[in-house]
Amino acid sequence: MRSARLSWNESDAWEADDAADRADLVFYFGSRQALASGDRYRELRGMFPDAHLLGCSTGGQIRDDDVTDNDIAAAVLTFAATPLRVACETIPRPEESRKCGEAIGRALAGKDLAGIFVLSDGLHVNGSELVAGITSVVGQHIPLTGGLAGDGPQFQETLVGADAPPRSQTVGAVGFYGDAVRIGHGSAGGWDEFGPRRRITRSQGNVLFELDGKPALDLYVRYLGEEDAKGLPGAALIFPLLIRDSERPDHDIVRTVLAVDRQAGSMTFAGDVPEGWSAQLMRGSFDRLAAGAASAAKQAAAGMHGSQGDQIAVLVSCIGRRLLMGQQTIDEVEAAGAELGSDVARIGFYSYGEISPHAASGMCELHNQTMTVTTIGEAAG
Amino acid sequence: MHKLFIRQLAKASTPEGVDLDALGTLVSSAYEESDRDRRRTDRSISLMIEELDQLNRNLENLVSERTAALQQRESELCAQNLRFDAALNNMSQALLMFDSSGRLAICNDRYLQMYGLSPEQIKPGCTLRDILEIRRVAGTFPDDPKEYVEYHLPALARGKSISRLHELPDGRTIAVLTHPIADGGWISTHEDITERRRAEEQISHMARHDSLTDLPNRVLLRERIELALKGVRRGGRLAVLYLDLDHFKAVNDTLGHHIGDELLKAVAERLRAIVRATDTVARMGGDEFVVVQTEAERPNETATLAQRICESLRAPFNLNGNVVVVQASVGIAMAPEDGREPNELLKNADIALYGIKSDGRGSYRFFEPEMDARMKARRELELALRSALIEDRFELLYQPLISLQDNRVTCCEALLRWNHPERGLVLPSQFIPVAEEIGVIVTIGEWVMRKACADAAQWPADVKVAVNLSPIQVMSPNLVSMVVGALGSASLAANRLEVEITESVLLQNSEATLNALHNLRGLGVSISMDDFGTGFSSLSSLRSFPFNKIKIDRSFINGMSEEEDSLAIVRAVAGLARNLGMITTAEGVETERQMEQVRALGCTEMQGYLFSPPVKAQVLSRFFSQQQERKSALG
Repeated sequence: MRSARLSWNESDAWEADDAADRADLVFYFGSRQALASGDRYRELRGMFPDAHLLGCSTGGQIRDDDVTDNDIAAAVLTFAATPLRVACETIPRPEESRKCGEAIGRALAGKDLAGIFVLSDGLHVNGSELVAGITSVVGQHIPLTGGLAGDGPQFQETLVGADAPPRSQTVGAVGFYGDAVRIGHGSAGGWDEFGPRRRITRSQGNVLFELDGKPALDLYVRYLGEEDAKGLPGAALIFPLLIRDSERPDHDIVRTVLAVDRQAGSMTFAGDVPEGWSAQLMRGSFDRLAAGAASAAKQAAAGMHGSQGDQIAVLVSCIGRRLLMGQQTIDEVEAAGAELGSDVARIGFYSYGEISPHAASGMCELHNQTMTVTTIGEAAG
Repeated sequence: MHKLFIRQLAKASTPEGVDLDALGTLVSSAYEESDRDRRRTDRSISLMIEELDQLNRNLENLVSERTAALQQRESELCAQNLRFDAALNNMSQALLMFDSSGRLAICNDRYLQMYGLSPEQIKPGCTLRDILEIRRVAGTFPDDPKEYVEYHLPALARGKSISRLHELPDGRTIAVLTHPIADGGWISTHEDITERRRAEEQISHMARHDSLTDLPNRVLLRERIELALKGVRRGGRLAVLYLDLDHFKAVNDTLGHHIGDELLKAVAERLRAIVRATDTVARMGGDEFVVVQTEAERPNETATLAQRICESLRAPFNLNGNVVVVQASVGIAMAPEDGREPNELLKNADIALYGIKSDGRGSYRFFEPEMDARMKARRELELALRSALIEDRFELLYQPLISLQDNRVTCCEALLRWNHPERGLVLPSQFIPVAEEIGVIVTIGEWVMRKACADAAQWPADVKVAVNLSPIQVMSPNLVSMVVGALGSASLAANRLEVEITESVLLQNSEATLNALHNLRGLGVSISMDDFGTGFSSLSSLRSFPFNKIKIDRSFINGMSEEEDSLAIVRAVAGLARNLGMITTAEGVETERQMEQVRALGCTEMQGYLFSPPVKAQVLSRFFSQQQERKSALG
């Protein structure tokens, strides 16, 4: 496999490392403002007429050790022996997340399917159901990674494009086939739980109403303080929620907020918050979050055995981490980079949800507030 | 330099040098970020502390509530234990409880008292075997403790309850109940049932013995016969002797029930003395006794026993200074020929006894199948008689009595007939004794009285109606009201009614009987002496009551042609009656000659086939209306 970096900014337009004569796949991540017109997509299509183009809007782009807001980060991949297939579905309502996942799964299923990378609308989706829909078709053994598109701290509209101009309410995915491709993955949070353990006493799907019989939103407002509470829902990302099934206490899931309804006192999360499960607030310290990112990168790097040629790492990290760390966000990107090595090109974005197999169980799931790292390479042909 | 500052410096650097404004903005914003993070951290920590503090207070409250509840529970348990102790030590039963390892957990005071043990001997933790060994030495456990334990413990382990009676050497009976309990141990209760057992034995004895004589009663008798019949099934024989005392009622009536009871006890004694130990003497009630003779191989052995019973009871009894003489009649049924089960044997012995009554008392008789047939016939007659009343099968015939002065009909005697559906016309002599015995005579008598009065009301006013009264009717306390009722409903004047009684009525000679007859006479009803001369004391009976009429028995009228005696008697009676102001009726006059004779001898009336046989009421009515027509024609 060969890879090349590509970037775009308002002043300099497209700028590449070296001209790639043939490309099979281009990942691109940019701000909603940069992608919304569709011009950038058309320019990419002009440059790489034969490549699959998969991209989304973000809450910030990662390019090697840098995190930027207004530009586009892209990577151009050329495979020696790995067939690809792209699927794209619209998702009209979050309730159809599973159905949409199943359609993606059916479009990509194949006996030599080696892995899937998926990008989804970040607001009109129940990420847990989407993942469950895909895995129900292709099976749990196929590594499924990716993330939910972002919209900075605005939470208004997210865009996804798969061989088409990026649009809202879209899910796009690429499937990798054959035995040459190497896909590694890792996922870690680094958040620490704090405060009392609470019980989810009222919820419906991914909408949380009550914790310990009291409105969940009140708790967040109280912890954020008047000033920060104005920044809801984004501000709630500072305190992710760790939920846990009391029957599987070692299987923790971190959930992040997508929206709040002040009238109903409810909060909508990126995945399910089942009634009866326990819930605990989490908080992050810069060092621990960076250490989490390093851990995810280390797991992903382990999947690259036998790979020759270029490798690329796609980092999908949660917007919440960035909101908390501010300028020091770069610390986690650097920490991941240190684990991967300087020869592995890094690209990625800050998302509204991360998709990766669970570090402990191996089950593909939607994560929140994590750094997930997907490494892609190819064995010698 | 801090790596963030290095980064900021790099970001603010341009080819022209460091952009100080940009650097300042970056540094200032980093400070703000840092301040914000610190504020958040402070805030969340203080909130967390607050929350945890609240939780802690909640927990403390919970702990103190739970502690109070536990203390409360503990004191309740303590009180409960005191109550259990009181209950355990004041119960009438002794109690032992063992835990799952077979060690004693509880032993109440009653147990120690029951077996004369001390608390030092029986301590919690000892085994059942230990306790039983101590009791064996103390003499309150007669069995082998080892065997006992080896039998009991495995059974309890299988979840089986054990119930046992222990007979102690000192005569006490202890009921021991042992139940496994849920935790694997067991509990046993000991109850001294000595008194209860004695009482039960006594009750059982009372239920099966006669309280007066202490002889077996019907219940035990039946069991004994059942038992003896088993021997019969193996080829043996058995005799059931059913006896009663003749005229026992007279003893009771004349000497009182106390002497009657003494007599029964004395009879029981004599019977007991006669029979073998293997035989049974039982009292059936009243003056009836039954002797069961087992191994009665030859009938003459049974006859000998019956003979001895009769002889033994014939000897006078001296009862509190009263010398009483009675005699016994014995009916005998043999198994297997006369029956193979108790009821049948008793019934047949009773039938044989009944047979003796009819042909002389004071002896014994074996059952014969014909007796049974006779009894059956009699029972059928009983049933038929009861249904005859319901089905209106009785009929009255009338036989006129004729005045010997003017040949006028003075009276008609009502004669009862029974139109039996199979046997045809049945005469009173065939059914009245049975009707008297079963008590329907009173009902039949009332029917006769009402019918006769009603028929007579249709006759000429100078013709009376005569109705026969049986002794039992006369003794009935309702006689007078019954007669008044019959006269009233027929609108018949009392002086048109004659009642005929036999001498046997006067044999009772009771005040009530005479009062009833006087009351009837007082009403205007005539009283006739029927069948005069057939009793034992005819003349004396004339003294006891002022009869209106004497009816001379037909045997004398029949005998007049051949026997001088009869003629003399008829003459004497007619003379006597004339002197006493009584009418005399000659019964059974069948010839002209007899009529002339009785007229000549001074009789005032005659009755018999010469003038008319008994006829139906309609025939009589026709006769009277013809007579009336003749009278009118003559007039």
